[in-house]
Amino acid sequence: MKGATMICPVFIPRRSARRVRPLAVLAATLALAAVSTHASDAHTPPTAQPWTPATLRQALAALPPGDAARGRTVHETMFCASCHGERGQAPTLNWPHLAGQKAAYTAKMLLDYRDGRRLENHGALLMRDLAQMLTPQQMADVAAFYAQQPLPRDDGTPRAAVSAEALRQAERLVRHGDPARLITPCASCHGARGEGGTREAGALAGQNPLYLRRTLLDFQSGRRHNDAVKGMSTFAQRLTRTEIEALAVYYADPSAGRHALRQAAR
Amino acid sequence: MRTPSVAIPPSAAGYRRALAWVLTAALGAAGAVGLTVQERALAQARVQATAQATPQAQTNAGTPAGPAAGSAGTAPPSPALNPNPVPASVMAHTCAACHGTNGQLGDEAFKPLAGMPVQQFVRTMIDFREGRRPATLMGHVAKGFTDADLQAMGEFFAAVAPLVDGTATHKATP
Amino acid sequence: MNTEPSLLSRRDWMSSALGLLAAAAAPSLAFAQTRARIVVVGGGVGGATTAKYLKLFDPSLDVTLIERAPVYLRPYGSSEVLNGHISMRDLEVRYDTLRDRYGVRVVIDTVTALDATAREVRTASGQRFGYDRLVVSPGIELMYDAYDGYSEAVARSRVPCAWIPGEQTALLARQLQGMRPGGTFVLAAPPNPYRCPPGPYERAALMTEWFQRHNPTAKVIIVDPKDSFVTDETMMLGWNRLYRFNLPEDYEKKIAAKVEVLRHASPGMLSWVRGKEGGRTLRIDARRMTIEIEGGVIRADVINVIAPMRAGRLAATMNLADSSGFCPVERRTFASTRVPHVHVIGDASIADAMPKSGFSANTQAKVVARAIVEELAGRPAPEPLWENTCYALAGSDYGLFVADVFKIVDGKIARINGASRYLPLDASPAQIRLCARYQQAWLRTFTQDCFA
Repeated sequence: MKGATMICPVFIPRRSARRVRPLAVLAATLALAAVSTHASDAHTPPTAQPWTPATLRQALAALPPGDAARGRTVHETMFCASCHGERGQAPTLNWPHLAGQKAAYTAKMLLDYRDGRRLENHGALLMRDLAQMLTPQQMADVAAFYAQQPLPRDDGTPRAAVSAEALRQAERLVRHGDPARLITPCASCHGARGEGGTREAGALAGQNPLYLRRTLLDFQSGRRHNDAVKGMSTFAQRLTRTEIEALAVYYADPSAGRHALRQAAR
Repeated sequence: MRTPSVAIPPSAAGYRRALAWVLTAALGAAGAVGLTVQERALAQARVQATAQATPQAQTNAGTPAGPAAGSAGTAPPSPALNPNPVPASVMAHTCAACHGTNGQLGDEAFKPLAGMPVQQFVRTMIDFREGRRPATLMGHVAKGFTDADLQAMGEFFAAVAPLVDGTATHKATP
Repeated sequence: MNTEPSLLSRRDWMSSALGLLAAAAAPSLAFAQTRARIVVVGGGVGGATTAKYLKLFDPSLDVTLIERAPVYLRPYGSSEVLNGHISMRDLEVRYDTLRDRYGVRVVIDTVTALDATAREVRTASGQRFGYDRLVVSPGIELMYDAYDGYSEAVARSRVPCAWIPGEQTALLARQLQGMRPGGTFVLAAPPNPYRCPPGPYERAALMTEWFQRHNPTAKVIIVDPKDSFVTDETMMLGWNRLYRFNLPEDYEKKIAAKVEVLRHASPGMLSWVRGKEGGRTLRIDARRMTIEIEGGVIRADVINVIAPMRAGRLAATMNLADSSGFCPVERRTFASTRVPHVHVIGDASIADAMPKSGFSANTQAKVVARAIVEELAGRPAPEPLWENTCYALAGSDYGLFVADVFKIVDGKIARINGASRYLPLDASPAQIRLCARYQQAWLRTFTQDCFA
């Protein structure tokens, strides 16, 4: 080695020489590395364009048709079940149920996580990493899988104590909105029974009330800002804290609050 | 692929050969300027046969099979090696470093355990233990516990009030 | 199984009983005498967790934590300062929550002596702390002078060790990030036993990842007295995939049987010189910036020597350590076999199969806190169980882990959770990515459990 100014890498032929892998195989097996080095550093916020109704429509239309059977495999192998529950009903307080969710909404959320439009907490950061590992087909498939599951019910999440009056107010907001505050009825987008409505408006029936409350608060404060045309932010800003609590409890029961109203009356 | 411009000198000394290969491979292509590697005469090598000798009583416990003191043959270590029951809280507190003190956890990647229904905890841990449920390390952890252990831990966590948005929950009807 | 603890507990019960009698006679002294005093020396993971959990188990205990530094710099995850992923500030952990939420008396002072007969700990400022039980978690002391030409002065100025975070970490980060294009970074891994088994390899891996992006002609050489290390298969498989690292033949044989191993015609910048290849460190020349190993001399631009280590200095001061440099303890309670009424936990203790890790210290602390509370109440310490489950990185997006559950088996602490400790070699990309994310989450949750 002394005096060597240029040392080239030395290839030592092995006794059982392993041939150099074809480029395609090498590329596939190094896909992990490519993703790794390209993948966003957890510390740099990405700059994703907010949706317009047109771009959102296009993005959703661009997704391939989803297959629920394939989606079950995605749900199991990509650890969705681990947090969101075997059948899409999350076993903890912190995370949303996905069972019965509209496919378009689930797909939109995955795109929002992937592109960094939604990054409001640690859970969202984890979702970003997972969403970045999904192909569009996998997104469509897993969304189709959840859409097929029955809406959640009796999830056992503790409900905040809300008065009967607050629940009646919640029902009013759901069915009639509040013209004075320019709040359209929740049902007009989210369905008469909270089953989800047109396009990407999500299902709310049976949703974990702690999660729904946090979501409305996040829209109110701007921590969440992935809603197209700021629809949810606008409505949430006009709601009181009590109304938010009551709406969360109202929607938690799949029979659209009547049960909850009865319970509150006791 | 470059053709080698430096041949490995034939040598009976394994150290010299191995080291030379490693260093040349590592110091390869560009920018070896300014680096010199001087090989020592390995006749004076002070290596003992136990080059990685460790102090008597300790190692870093690195073998994949894991030491199972006194166990027979190649049987993998299992809770049956010590069937004495451990108090539920002692077992449960080993979970806290990931799942929060007393299983209480707010916004995090891991699952809070506080308030989890007993059977859900038990079934989930058994699914991890049997490999039915995808996991990173929970499968490995679950193997350390018997069904009775899991039942006890489940009861411990079910009795703890969960955090809500980082604060203690109200007492509310489900 | 263990006769000593019950003997101690009889004594403690007797002294409590005497205390009660005294209380009847002198009410003003009663409170001070009947409230058990636990002193914890060392405010790292082991000490902090002990103090917190003692108070959790029994808020009426009088718990004092004595620590030399007002702010703790967490060593776990500290290698992420080197690649600029976090700053030194991000390592800071404070004792406020222990004090305010749990009522631990936190004393910032240096312990200078132990009077085991008087059951008293003395500090540099002249204070004395009497105890009914003492828990010592002194961490490690780095033996800089194990290598010719190496010393703490050299480590602080030129060839950092940075295995206990501080100025040396900041220095090493500056050196690595400022290394000239095409420079060589040598990391000298320590001999067994040492704190954080996968740590040196994670450090080398993270720097290799950083160099690939910022200094692509750099070289990274790990020189090692050992031929293997904890998590070696999963770690090196990650290197194989990320850094064009070719596995040593014996590893390749083992691993290729289970999963595809790449053989890179043009290997990358990272290499590992094992003990059997002459990797053991002999001498450092800080002036010439060379490191002499058994197999030769390497000249480098940046050298990081992870020195051999033993129990923190206090272990010797307090006569807790034996000739191995570490502290022998009863397994059930981690009570010192050398000094009564004293427990030793964490890296300083001899804990059989438990690796020297933060996670081990955390679960040892809980077992000891429980044992102390039970014994003070006149009951035997219960059957213990410990864990060591932690994540490490082969790259920022490539995680792996070691997962151990321990009980006492045939009088020693042994693993009881199956043959496999590690991330399987055929782990999916999702598992690998999740491990990396969970590692980051674990840093947060672990710190909370120890200090908050």
